[in-house]
Amino acid sequence: MNELIYNIAIWLDNTTYSTLLHESYYMYNWVESTHVLTLMVSLGILFLIDLRMLGWAFPDVPASKIADRLNIPMLVGFTVMFITGILLFYAVPVRSAQSVWFRIKMVLLVACAVNAYLFHKRMNESVSSWDSDAKAPKRIRQGAMLSLGFWSIIVICGRFIAYDWYDCQYDQSAFIDFVAGCVDGQTRF
Amino acid sequence: MPTAILGPYTRTILTSAIIAAALMFSFTYARVNVHIELMPFFEWMETTWFGYIGKTWGGAFATIQAGHLVGLGVLGGCVLVSDGRLLGLILTDVPHRTIVDRADTVFFWALVVLLATGIFMACGVAMKIYYLPVYWYKMLALGAGMLFHYFVRRPLLVHDLESINPMILKSTAIASILVWFLVAATGRWIGFSG
Repeated sequence: MNELIYNIAIWLDNTTYSTLLHESYYMYNWVESTHVLTLMVSLGILFLIDLRMLGWAFPDVPASKIADRLNIPMLVGFTVMFITGILLFYAVPVRSAQSVWFRIKMVLLVACAVNAYLFHKRMNESVSSWDSDAKAPKRIRQGAMLSLGFWSIIVICGRFIAYDWYDCQYDQSAFIDFVAGCVDGQTRF
Repeated sequence: MPTAILGPYTRTILTSAIIAAALMFSFTYARVNVHIELMPFFEWMETTWFGYIGKTWGGAFATIQAGHLVGLGVLGGCVLVSDGRLLGLILTDVPHRTIVDRADTVFFWALVVLLATGIFMACGVAMKIYYLPVYWYKMLALGAGMLFHYFVRRPLLVHDLESINPMILKSTAIASILVWFLVAATGRWIGFSG
Protein backbone atom coordinates (compact mmCIF):
# COMPACT_ATOMS: atom_id res chain seq x y z
CA MET A 1 0.00 0.00 0.00
CA ASN A 2 2.75 2.45 1.00
CA GLU A 3 4.66 1.56 -2.15
CA LEU A 4 1.57 2.31 -4.24
CA ILE A 5 1.10 5.69 -2.53
CA TYR A 6 4.79 6.44 -3.10
CA ASN A 7 4.56 5.50 -6.79
CA ILE A 8 1.46 7.67 -7.29
CA ALA A 9 3.24 10.55 -5.54
CA ILE A 10 6.28 10.07 -7.81
CA TRP A 11 3.99 10.10 -10.85
CA LEU A 12 2.37 13.36 -9.67
CA ASP A 13 5.78 14.81 -8.90
CA ASN A 14 6.89 14.09 -12.47
CA THR A 15 4.06 16.12 -13.99
CA THR A 16 4.97 19.55 -15.35
CA TYR A 17 2.33 21.48 -13.42
CA SER A 18 3.46 20.03 -10.09
CA THR A 19 6.97 21.32 -10.75
CA LEU A 20 5.68 24.67 -12.02
CA LEU A 21 3.50 25.15 -8.94
CA HIS A 22 6.29 24.15 -6.58
CA GLU A 23 8.88 26.31 -8.27
CA SER A 24 6.65 29.37 -8.60
CA TYR A 25 7.38 31.47 -5.51
CA TYR A 26 4.36 33.73 -5.91
CA MET A 27 1.83 31.13 -7.07
CA TYR A 28 2.74 28.67 -4.33
CA ASN A 29 2.56 31.39 -1.68
CA TRP A 30 -0.77 32.64 -3.04
CA VAL A 31 -2.24 29.14 -2.84
CA GLU A 32 -0.84 28.58 0.64
CA SER A 33 -2.06 31.98 1.86
CA THR A 34 -5.54 31.34 0.49
CA HIS A 35 -5.54 27.95 2.23
CA VAL A 36 -4.65 29.55 5.57
CA LEU A 37 -6.76 32.70 5.29
CA THR A 38 -9.87 30.73 4.32
CA LEU A 39 -9.73 29.52 7.94
CA MET A 40 -11.61 32.71 8.76
CA VAL A 41 -14.55 31.65 6.61
CA SER A 42 -14.61 27.89 7.05
CA LEU A 43 -13.25 27.09 10.49
CA GLY A 44 -14.29 30.40 12.01
CA ILE A 45 -17.93 29.88 11.09
CA LEU A 46 -17.83 26.17 11.98
CA PHE A 47 -16.48 27.02 15.43
CA LEU A 48 -19.24 29.61 15.92
CA ILE A 49 -21.85 26.91 15.13
CA ASP A 50 -20.15 24.50 17.55
CA LEU A 51 -19.91 27.20 20.24
CA ARG A 52 -23.62 27.93 19.77
CA MET A 53 -24.45 24.28 20.46
CA LEU A 54 -22.33 24.42 23.62
CA GLY A 55 -24.17 27.57 24.74
CA TRP A 56 -21.02 29.73 24.58
CA ALA A 57 -22.01 31.89 21.61
CA PHE A 58 -25.32 33.33 20.37
CA PRO A 59 -27.28 31.56 23.16
CA ASP A 60 -30.46 33.52 22.37
CA VAL A 61 -30.42 32.81 18.63
CA PRO A 62 -32.26 29.60 17.61
CA ALA A 63 -29.70 26.85 16.97
CA SER A 64 -31.35 25.80 13.70
CA LYS A 65 -31.03 29.34 12.31
CA ILE A 66 -27.33 29.54 13.15
CA ALA A 67 -26.66 26.09 11.66
CA ASP A 68 -28.80 26.57 8.51
CA ARG A 69 -27.94 30.15 7.61
CA LEU A 70 -24.20 29.81 8.21
CA ASN A 71 -23.96 26.47 6.44
CA ILE A 72 -23.54 27.89 2.93
CA PRO A 73 -20.76 30.45 3.67
CA MET A 74 -19.02 27.76 5.71
CA LEU A 75 -19.22 25.24 2.85
CA VAL A 76 -17.95 27.84 0.38
CA GLY A 77 -14.96 28.36 2.72
CA PHE A 78 -14.33 24.62 3.02
CA THR A 79 -14.55 24.19 -0.76
CA VAL A 80 -11.86 26.81 -1.31
CA MET A 81 -9.83 25.22 1.46
CA PHE A 82 -10.05 21.73 -0.06
CA ILE A 83 -9.17 22.96 -3.56
CA THR A 84 -6.13 24.88 -2.30
CA GLY A 85 -5.23 21.93 -0.05
CA ILE A 86 -5.24 19.57 -3.05
CA LEU A 87 -3.07 22.05 -4.97
CA LEU A 88 -0.60 22.22 -2.05
CA PHE A 89 -0.42 18.42 -2.01
CA TYR A 90 0.03 18.38 -5.78
CA ALA A 91 2.92 20.85 -5.53
CA VAL A 92 4.86 18.67 -3.05
CA PRO A 93 3.37 15.18 -3.45
CA VAL A 94 6.14 12.85 -2.27
CA ARG A 95 7.01 14.64 0.95
CA SER A 96 3.33 15.31 1.77
CA ALA A 97 2.28 11.70 1.14
CA GLN A 98 5.03 10.52 3.50
CA SER A 99 4.40 13.09 6.22
CA VAL A 100 3.16 11.60 9.49
CA TRP A 101 1.27 14.81 10.19
CA PHE A 102 -0.36 14.88 6.78
CA ARG A 103 -1.55 11.30 7.30
CA ILE A 104 -2.96 12.08 10.76
CA LYS A 105 -4.64 15.14 9.24
CA MET A 106 -6.30 13.02 6.53
CA VAL A 107 -7.58 10.48 9.09
CA LEU A 108 -8.97 13.31 11.21
CA LEU A 109 -10.65 14.90 8.17
CA VAL A 110 -12.52 11.63 7.60
CA ALA A 111 -13.42 11.55 11.32
CA CYS A 112 -14.68 15.15 11.02
CA ALA A 113 -16.82 14.25 8.00
CA VAL A 114 -18.41 11.33 9.88
CA ASN A 115 -18.92 13.50 12.96
CA ALA A 116 -20.51 16.28 10.85
CA TYR A 117 -22.89 13.75 9.24
CA LEU A 118 -23.96 12.34 12.62
CA PHE A 119 -24.20 15.84 14.09
CA HIS A 120 -26.59 17.02 11.35
CA LYS A 121 -28.60 13.79 11.48
CA ARG A 122 -29.09 14.03 15.26
CA MET A 123 -29.81 17.73 15.02
CA ASN A 124 -32.45 17.38 12.30
CA GLU A 125 -34.16 14.62 14.27
CA SER A 126 -34.51 16.58 17.48
CA VAL A 127 -33.95 20.31 16.92
CA SER A 128 -37.62 21.28 17.14
CA SER A 129 -37.69 20.28 20.82
CA TRP A 130 -34.67 22.37 21.93
CA ASP A 131 -34.14 24.96 19.17
CA SER A 132 -34.39 27.99 21.47
CA ASP A 133 -32.53 26.47 24.42
CA ALA A 134 -29.21 28.11 25.22
CA LYS A 135 -27.50 24.71 25.23
CA ALA A 136 -28.10 21.80 22.87
CA PRO A 137 -28.78 18.29 24.28
CA LYS A 138 -25.80 16.28 25.50
CA ARG A 139 -25.30 14.19 22.31
CA ILE A 140 -25.24 17.30 20.13
CA ARG A 141 -22.83 18.99 22.55
CA GLN A 142 -20.55 15.96 22.37
CA GLY A 143 -20.55 16.25 18.58
CA ALA A 144 -19.69 19.96 18.84
CA MET A 145 -16.85 19.23 21.29
CA LEU A 146 -15.49 16.51 18.99
CA SER A 147 -15.65 18.92 16.05
CA LEU A 148 -13.76 21.62 17.98
CA GLY A 149 -11.15 19.09 19.15
CA PHE A 150 -10.64 17.37 15.79
CA TRP A 151 -10.35 20.62 13.85
CA SER A 152 -7.93 22.11 16.38
CA ILE A 153 -5.70 19.04 16.00
CA ILE A 154 -6.03 19.29 12.20
CA VAL A 155 -4.72 22.87 12.36
CA ILE A 156 -1.83 21.73 14.59
CA CYS A 157 -1.02 18.88 12.17
CA GLY A 158 -1.18 21.36 9.29
CA ARG A 159 1.45 23.49 11.02
CA PHE A 160 3.61 20.46 11.87
CA ILE A 161 3.76 19.37 8.19
CA ALA A 162 6.26 22.20 7.66
CA TYR A 163 8.72 20.55 10.08
CA ASP A 164 11.00 17.70 8.94
CA TRP A 165 11.28 15.82 12.28
CA TYR A 166 9.91 12.54 10.88
CA ASP A 167 10.83 12.83 7.22
CA CYS A 168 11.86 9.64 5.43
CA GLN A 169 15.32 10.88 4.48
CA TYR A 170 16.37 10.66 8.15
CA ASP A 171 16.88 7.49 10.19
CA GLN A 172 13.60 6.84 11.98
CA SER A 173 12.27 4.11 14.23
CA ALA A 174 10.46 1.21 12.53
CA PHE A 175 7.16 2.59 13.87
CA ILE A 176 7.66 6.02 12.30
CA ASP A 177 8.87 4.41 9.06
CA PHE A 178 5.63 2.43 9.00
CA VAL A 179 3.32 5.35 9.87
CA ALA A 180 5.05 7.70 7.43
CA GLY A 181 5.01 5.02 4.74
CA CYS A 182 8.74 5.20 3.99
CA VAL A 183 9.71 2.79 1.22
CA ASP A 184 12.95 0.77 1.29
CA GLY A 185 15.46 2.16 -1.17
CA GLN A 186 13.39 5.17 -2.13
CA THR A 187 15.39 7.78 -3.98
CA ARG A 188 13.05 10.74 -3.92
CA PHE A 189 11.82 12.56 -0.83
CA MET B 1 -15.50 71.31 23.31
CA PRO B 2 -14.40 68.81 20.58
CA THR B 3 -18.02 67.67 20.37
CA ALA B 4 -19.08 71.21 19.59
CA ILE B 5 -16.55 71.44 16.77
CA LEU B 6 -16.65 67.92 15.35
CA GLY B 7 -20.34 67.10 15.80
CA PRO B 8 -21.74 63.65 16.68
CA TYR B 9 -18.80 61.74 15.17
CA THR B 10 -16.08 63.15 17.50
CA ARG B 11 -14.70 59.76 18.49
CA THR B 12 -14.72 58.47 14.93
CA ILE B 13 -12.86 61.51 13.63
CA LEU B 14 -10.30 61.45 16.49
CA THR B 15 -9.63 57.71 16.00
CA SER B 16 -9.29 58.14 12.26
CA ALA B 17 -6.86 61.02 12.92
CA ILE B 18 -4.77 58.82 15.26
CA ILE B 19 -4.64 56.02 12.65
CA ALA B 20 -3.73 58.52 9.92
CA ALA B 21 -1.05 60.07 12.16
CA ALA B 22 0.44 56.62 12.88
CA LEU B 23 0.48 55.85 9.16
CA MET B 24 2.14 59.17 8.34
CA PHE B 25 4.67 58.67 11.14
CA SER B 26 5.60 55.26 9.75
CA PHE B 27 6.74 56.93 6.52
CA THR B 28 8.87 59.63 8.18
CA TYR B 29 12.53 59.54 9.22
CA ALA B 30 11.51 59.81 12.91
CA ARG B 31 10.34 56.19 12.66
CA VAL B 32 13.98 55.08 12.28
CA ASN B 33 14.88 56.60 15.66
CA VAL B 34 11.96 54.90 17.38
CA HIS B 35 12.92 51.63 15.68
CA ILE B 36 16.45 51.86 17.09
CA GLU B 37 15.11 52.75 20.56
CA LEU B 38 12.98 49.60 20.51
CA MET B 39 15.85 47.21 19.86
CA PRO B 40 16.72 46.55 23.57
CA PHE B 41 13.08 45.66 24.18
CA PHE B 42 13.14 43.05 21.41
CA GLU B 43 16.47 41.70 22.69
CA TRP B 44 14.89 41.38 26.12
CA MET B 45 11.88 39.57 24.63
CA GLU B 46 14.14 36.79 23.39
CA THR B 47 15.58 36.33 26.91
CA THR B 48 12.17 35.74 28.51
CA TRP B 49 10.77 32.26 29.21
CA PHE B 50 8.48 32.64 26.21
CA GLY B 51 11.48 33.48 24.04
CA TYR B 52 13.47 30.53 25.45
CA ILE B 53 10.60 28.04 24.90
CA GLY B 54 9.80 29.41 21.44
CA LYS B 55 13.42 29.15 20.31
CA THR B 56 14.18 25.79 21.92
CA TRP B 57 11.10 23.70 21.15
CA GLY B 58 9.86 23.96 17.59
CA GLY B 59 6.87 21.80 18.51
CA ALA B 60 5.74 24.22 21.24
CA PHE B 61 6.15 27.15 18.89
CA ALA B 62 4.15 25.41 16.13
CA THR B 63 1.40 24.40 18.59
CA ILE B 64 1.03 27.97 19.83
CA GLN B 65 1.07 29.09 16.20
CA ALA B 66 -1.84 26.69 15.53
CA GLY B 67 -3.67 28.26 18.52
CA HIS B 68 -3.00 31.65 16.91
CA LEU B 69 -4.56 30.39 13.66
CA VAL B 70 -7.61 29.00 15.47
CA GLY B 71 -8.02 32.35 17.27
CA LEU B 72 -7.71 34.11 13.92
CA GLY B 73 -10.31 31.78 12.43
CA VAL B 74 -12.82 32.45 15.22
CA LEU B 75 -12.15 36.20 15.10
CA GLY B 76 -12.63 36.14 11.33
CA GLY B 77 -15.83 34.14 11.74
CA CYS B 78 -17.19 36.73 14.19
CA VAL B 79 -16.28 39.60 11.87
CA LEU B 80 -17.87 37.91 8.85
CA VAL B 81 -21.06 36.96 10.69
CA SER B 82 -21.48 40.32 12.42
CA ASP B 83 -20.54 42.47 9.42
CA GLY B 84 -22.32 40.11 7.04
CA ARG B 85 -25.47 40.77 9.07
CA LEU B 86 -24.92 44.54 8.92
CA LEU B 87 -24.56 44.23 5.16
CA GLY B 88 -27.80 42.24 5.04
CA LEU B 89 -26.10 39.16 3.59
CA ILE B 90 -26.58 36.53 6.30
CA LEU B 91 -28.92 35.76 9.20
CA THR B 92 -31.28 38.43 7.90
CA ASP B 93 -34.16 36.95 9.90
CA VAL B 94 -32.37 37.52 13.21
CA PRO B 95 -32.28 41.08 14.65
CA HIS B 96 -28.90 42.67 13.89
CA ARG B 97 -28.66 43.92 17.47
CA THR B 98 -28.61 40.31 18.72
CA ILE B 99 -26.00 39.18 16.18
CA VAL B 100 -23.74 42.21 16.67
CA ASP B 101 -23.79 42.00 20.48
CA ARG B 102 -23.32 38.24 20.74
CA ALA B 103 -20.60 38.16 18.08
CA ASP B 104 -18.77 40.91 19.98
CA THR B 105 -18.43 38.72 23.08
CA VAL B 106 -16.79 35.90 21.08
CA PHE B 107 -14.70 38.46 19.16
CA PHE B 108 -13.24 39.73 22.46
CA TRP B 109 -12.11 36.25 23.57
CA ALA B 110 -10.75 35.44 20.11
CA LEU B 111 -8.75 38.68 20.26
CA VAL B 112 -7.41 37.72 23.71
CA VAL B 113 -6.25 34.34 22.30
CA LEU B 114 -4.69 36.09 19.29
CA LEU B 115 -2.79 38.60 21.44
CA ALA B 116 -1.63 36.02 24.00
CA THR B 117 -0.38 33.55 21.39
CA GLY B 118 0.98 36.42 19.28
CA ILE B 119 3.11 37.72 22.18
CA PHE B 120 4.49 34.21 22.77
CA MET B 121 5.36 33.82 19.08
CA ALA B 122 6.92 37.28 18.91
CA CYS B 123 9.20 36.43 21.86
CA GLY B 124 10.42 33.29 20.08
CA VAL B 125 11.51 35.16 16.95
CA ALA B 126 11.90 38.67 18.37
CA MET B 127 15.08 39.71 16.57
CA LYS B 128 13.89 38.24 13.28
CA ILE B 129 10.64 40.18 13.30
CA TYR B 130 12.38 43.32 14.55
CA TYR B 131 14.08 43.61 11.17
CA LEU B 132 11.00 42.63 9.12
CA PRO B 133 9.08 45.63 7.70
CA VAL B 134 6.00 43.44 7.25
CA TYR B 135 5.88 42.76 11.02
CA TRP B 136 5.54 46.49 11.59
CA TYR B 137 2.85 46.69 8.90
CA LYS B 138 1.00 43.97 10.78
CA MET B 139 1.30 45.82 14.09
CA LEU B 140 0.03 48.93 12.37
CA ALA B 141 -2.90 47.00 10.89
CA LEU B 142 -3.63 45.33 14.25
CA GLY B 143 -3.54 48.66 16.06
CA ALA B 144 -5.81 50.20 13.44
CA GLY B 145 -8.14 47.18 13.69
CA MET B 146 -8.46 47.38 17.46
CA LEU B 147 -8.86 51.16 17.47
CA PHE B 148 -11.45 50.89 14.73
CA HIS B 149 -13.34 48.13 16.48
CA TYR B 150 -13.42 49.61 19.97
CA PHE B 151 -13.44 53.34 19.20
CA VAL B 152 -15.40 53.56 15.97
CA ARG B 153 -17.47 50.46 15.24
CA ARG B 154 -18.61 49.59 18.76
CA PRO B 155 -19.57 53.10 19.89
CA LEU B 156 -21.45 53.55 16.63
CA LEU B 157 -23.36 50.28 17.01
CA VAL B 158 -24.36 51.08 20.59
CA HIS B 159 -26.97 53.42 19.12
CA ASP B 160 -30.32 52.21 17.84
CA LEU B 161 -29.28 50.56 14.57
CA GLU B 162 -32.48 51.63 12.83
CA SER B 163 -31.55 55.27 13.44
CA ILE B 164 -28.13 54.99 11.76
CA ASN B 165 -27.80 55.87 8.10
CA PRO B 166 -27.65 52.48 6.24
CA MET B 167 -24.72 53.71 4.16
CA ILE B 168 -22.71 54.42 7.32
CA LEU B 169 -23.60 50.96 8.68
CA LYS B 170 -22.55 49.25 5.45
CA SER B 171 -19.34 51.31 5.16
CA THR B 172 -18.45 50.40 8.73
CA ALA B 173 -19.06 46.71 8.01
CA ILE B 174 -16.91 46.76 4.84
CA ALA B 175 -14.13 48.70 6.61
CA SER B 176 -14.20 46.18 9.46
CA ILE B 177 -13.91 43.18 7.11
CA LEU B 178 -11.08 44.86 5.19
CA VAL B 179 -9.06 45.89 8.23
CA TRP B 180 -9.19 42.39 9.81
CA PHE B 181 -8.42 40.76 6.48
CA LEU B 182 -5.39 43.07 6.27
CA VAL B 183 -4.30 41.95 9.76
CA ALA B 184 -4.56 38.29 8.70
CA ALA B 185 -2.87 38.83 5.33
CA THR B 186 0.10 40.75 6.79
CA GLY B 187 0.41 38.00 9.43
CA ARG B 188 0.65 35.39 6.68
CA TRP B 189 3.17 37.55 4.87
CA ILE B 190 5.48 37.39 7.90
CA GLY B 191 5.72 33.66 7.26
CA PHE B 192 7.11 34.26 3.78
CA SER B 193 9.64 36.89 4.84
CA GLY B 194 13.11 36.47 6.29
